[in-house]
Amino acid sequence: MFFCKHQTHKMSSYVLTRSFVGAAKKILWRTLHRPIHEAAESHQISNEEIQADLPVQLEKNPYEKPRVKCILCKYNIEPDYKNVRLLSQFQSRYTGRIYGRHITGLCKSKQAKVEHEILKAQNAGFMAYYFKDVTYVKDPQLFDPDHPFRPHNY
Amino acid sequence: MPTYELTMLLRVMPKTDIVSTLKRTANTIFSTGGIIRKIDSLGFKKMPFKTSAHSLVHREANYFIIYFDAPPSRIFDLDEAFGRDVDVVRRRIYKQDSEPPEACTLADEIKPPPYRSEVQKMLEMAKKAKKPQFSYNTGLDYYPFQK
Repeated sequence: MFFCKHQTHKMSSYVLTRSFVGAAKKILWRTLHRPIHEAAESHQISNEEIQADLPVQLEKNPYEKPRVKCILCKYNIEPDYKNVRLLSQFQSRYTGRIYGRHITGLCKSKQAKVEHEILKAQNAGFMAYYFKDVTYVKDPQLFDPDHPFRPHNY
Repeated sequence: MPTYELTMLLRVMPKTDIVSTLKRTANTIFSTGGIIRKIDSLGFKKMPFKTSAHSLVHREANYFIIYFDAPPSRIFDLDEAFGRDVDVVRRRIYKQDSEPPEACTLADEIKPPPYRSEVQKMLEMAKKAKKPQFSYNTGLDYYPFQK
């Protein structure tokens, strides 16, 4: 009986200390790991702090590529029917035909202008219809007709 | 009066004859009330193709460009007068290019098709051409009865 009593006393003290430690641990845990909704209630963030933290609104896309220009617009060259050497660079050396926009890589207006000026030059007797002038054959190539910039329209 | 460019291919002949032909041409322009701004000589050159003019075959010619102002109503007469000249193998009158060059649109042209304005226009046209379809207004995405 005595033994038994002693045992119960010891047990109760043990349980008491254990429960105290548990409560303390719980409080500590709660204070350290508060859920977000509780934290938000207790702590008001000032307006300035929000402004500093917000993502910055960019006016322009920083990754936007620069606007490409066709070779004639880039160097500000205006095709002219008197400048046969320039015009014959847009002409096939084998057939004398004008290369298309998918090969020359010109913008629409400049391609139309080149074609018009070539027609004028041929009509005035400055430029051949069916071949390129032999003296211009070895001029540097502006583009590779075998590897067009874009696939052909048809 | 607008400025015109007259390209003239004169037949093979001595220099004195060339000068007299040019003088004749200039006088024709002056007779219409026009003025000459400049005369360029591109020299004696081989023509890119043989030309028969005034019952003669020409393979070489003296190239000249005359920049002149003349009333537009008289350009046809001028061209006809130069055509009658037997020393002129070939001539063309072009209006001088005075329009400022257009801005480059290559960047818009190489965009993927749905971003190009012309393709967008075509899509809109296709949308307009589409006939309105009958709707049952049942609120169901299927037809509840036997067809």
